[in-house]
Amino acid sequence: MLWTATKRTAINRRSFLAGLGGAAVLAGSGWNGPALAEGLIGEIEAPLFATACKRANGSYALAILDDAGQILAEVGLPDRGHGMAVSPDGRKIMAFARRPGTFAMLIDPYDSKEPLVIASEPGRHFYGHGCFSADGRLVYAVENDYERVRGVLGVYDVSGTGAQRIGEIETGGIGPHDLLLMPDSKTMVIANGGIQTDPGQPREKLNIESMDPSVAYLDLNSGDVLTQHRLSRDLHKLSLRHMALDGKGQVWVGGQFEGDLQQMPPLVARMTQDTGPVLTEIPDQLASGLQSYIGSVVANRTGDVVATSAPRGGQVMFWSASTGELLGAKAVIDGCGLAPIDGSAFLISDGLGGLRYLEEPEAVPDVLAQVPGMSFDNHMFAL
Amino acid sequence: MRLTLFAALAVTTAVALQAPPGQAADFSPHVKRVLETYIRPATQAFAETSATLPPAAEALCSAPSDQTREAFAASYTKTLEALGNITFLRFGPLISDHRLERLAFLPDARNIAQRQIRKALTDQDGTLGDPAALAGKSVALQGLTALQLIAFDSDSNLTLGAGDDKEALCAYASAITRNVASIAGEIAAEWQDPKGYSALLLTADAGNDQFHSSKEAIETIFNAQVTGLIVIKDQELLPALGTGKDKAKPNKLPFSRSSNASAYMAAELEGIRDAMNAAKFEPNLGSDAAWIPGSLNFEFGNAAKTLRSLKGPLRQTMDAGATYDKLNLVAIQVNSLRDTMALNLAGGLGLSGGFNALDGD
Repeated sequence: MLWTATKRTAINRRSFLAGLGGAAVLAGSGWNGPALAEGLIGEIEAPLFATACKRANGSYALAILDDAGQILAEVGLPDRGHGMAVSPDGRKIMAFARRPGTFAMLIDPYDSKEPLVIASEPGRHFYGHGCFSADGRLVYAVENDYERVRGVLGVYDVSGTGAQRIGEIETGGIGPHDLLLMPDSKTMVIANGGIQTDPGQPREKLNIESMDPSVAYLDLNSGDVLTQHRLSRDLHKLSLRHMALDGKGQVWVGGQFEGDLQQMPPLVARMTQDTGPVLTEIPDQLASGLQSYIGSVVANRTGDVVATSAPRGGQVMFWSASTGELLGAKAVIDGCGLAPIDGSAFLISDGLGGLRYLEEPEAVPDVLAQVPGMSFDNHMFAL
Repeated sequence: MRLTLFAALAVTTAVALQAPPGQAADFSPHVKRVLETYIRPATQAFAETSATLPPAAEALCSAPSDQTREAFAASYTKTLEALGNITFLRFGPLISDHRLERLAFLPDARNIAQRQIRKALTDQDGTLGDPAALAGKSVALQGLTALQLIAFDSDSNLTLGAGDDKEALCAYASAITRNVASIAGEIAAEWQDPKGYSALLLTADAGNDQFHSSKEAIETIFNAQVTGLIVIKDQELLPALGTGKDKAKPNKLPFSRSSNASAYMAAELEGIRDAMNAAKFEPNLGSDAAWIPGSLNFEFGNAAKTLRSLKGPLRQTMDAGATYDKLNLVAIQVNSLRDTMALNLAGGLGLSGGFNALDGD
């Protein structure tokens, strides 16, 4: 396919449906069509999703999909992406490079202007995740201040035409990864993964023995750490990385274990600002295949079920928000991306181009699409 | 991750067996053999078989009789089997220009094809009968899944050539068959082209944009086979089997409307097996892994045989006899084939697969 890096090719819904895949449109060279949308939302009510991906020719992109699993648009990325911040109205995306990448891209799929590429500050690189403020004017990006070995939230003003970095807030730990804005709009929860890295040795882990992961509740106005939760000392090698907020206001966090995999430590915990982490139990038979690695954590719309993917074990586990019980697990080879869809269902993406719809944990997932040559990356977001 | 673990162990073994210290194993002979003895002949066979469809559809439409109906049905089945043999080749010529989706729009969990066909027919879209115009329309309207929807009814009866809308449907069917034959011809020609995609696979090295080593080239083929097995189990079998016999949805089986589900899925398994055998991995496997190809062949054979033993439209036989149990058994066999290929064989060869599993964050 003929997308050039950082160049948007988008397909409007009308031409997409006319061409379902607009086979001709998609295959056409350099067609730089109208914005994704042009009345898309008014025209057909279809929930949309965005995910980073790797394409058949080895290039990287951000893909926008509908609820039938059809790819409506792709925006080329300079390198591998990871997570993204989605504005509260679902109309703007700031996509981040995978760590230790130094680019972010501000994309407005409903507008025909070119995406804006943002470079990280000197001495900083992105960690792959970000979050909009409640009013949609700011984006908070997790970043590595690698010389001072501390995590920061870079604060970007995206209210105008560009993205202006206007400050930063310490995250209270090393290796901040996922982040969640609480319903009060002023408390940000950050999973400090605890792993020290340096761009001079990309993806090398420098402090496994002294890791100190935590989940920090930050006051965005003062920059103060309000609360910082840690697991017990024997679990200090469980890097706390991805999170979701359930319907009861509990933060769920999934970890990736840097210790001896034979240990099969707990991998998922839930907490509130006032109540420390409560670990969930994964039956041994299931745990033994997971390689102690959780990829994504996402709650459904009703907030009563939390899904955690374990791509190294090819499993997605589902948890009851009210009791913390394991409701079930589904085998999805290389499955990682999760997004809420419809009332209480989940969409699951995988590295083989598969998109599955799961009505409820007891159901059999329906494969909505199997996109040839496509690898969906770790995370998927509902727009 | 189990796969990485196996792969890591196996790299040591494979390198020890195959390559001098410090040098990676050379998979280029395997790539060449799969290309020459499987991919090119199989895509050529699909082109030749699908070329029988346009005359068969036109004969049926101009003179409907038991004979022309049987000939069309046979041609359609053979074309689906030839497609089944190659659907796992989800790289290069089969996926460029959206060819795979244009040949068969699968899965179609939301019945998009049905809705679009109804709309096009209601709108009296006169260009449906024009193969060139069709090639520019929705992928869901273009291929063998669309042909099945207009040629067979939901009780699996062949209805093409009969009924009030015979003329419009026959024109549309003719355009589909020509479009399919044309796409199949393009795929075969691109695979035959010595300067085309096969050159990329055969010249894998550091200077090659897509494949930096013969290992990456063989992994592309190998991982497509593994993905093919996952598609059969997760996309084709499990949603149809549902959570129990009383919850089965046989209409979700691929090409079940035309009673070709078992033939198509058997052909998929046979294609994946034959491509594996074409690679001739045996000399690369140490004594502890020597059992794998024989075991895989045995399991592939069993699963394909079970599918081939299911006669008639599975839509109607699902709740009768042992059809459900047999399909359930095939799902278990395919799962085991996936594990043996992705864990044991990949491990024995030092190949790796996965994207999120391999290097997450």
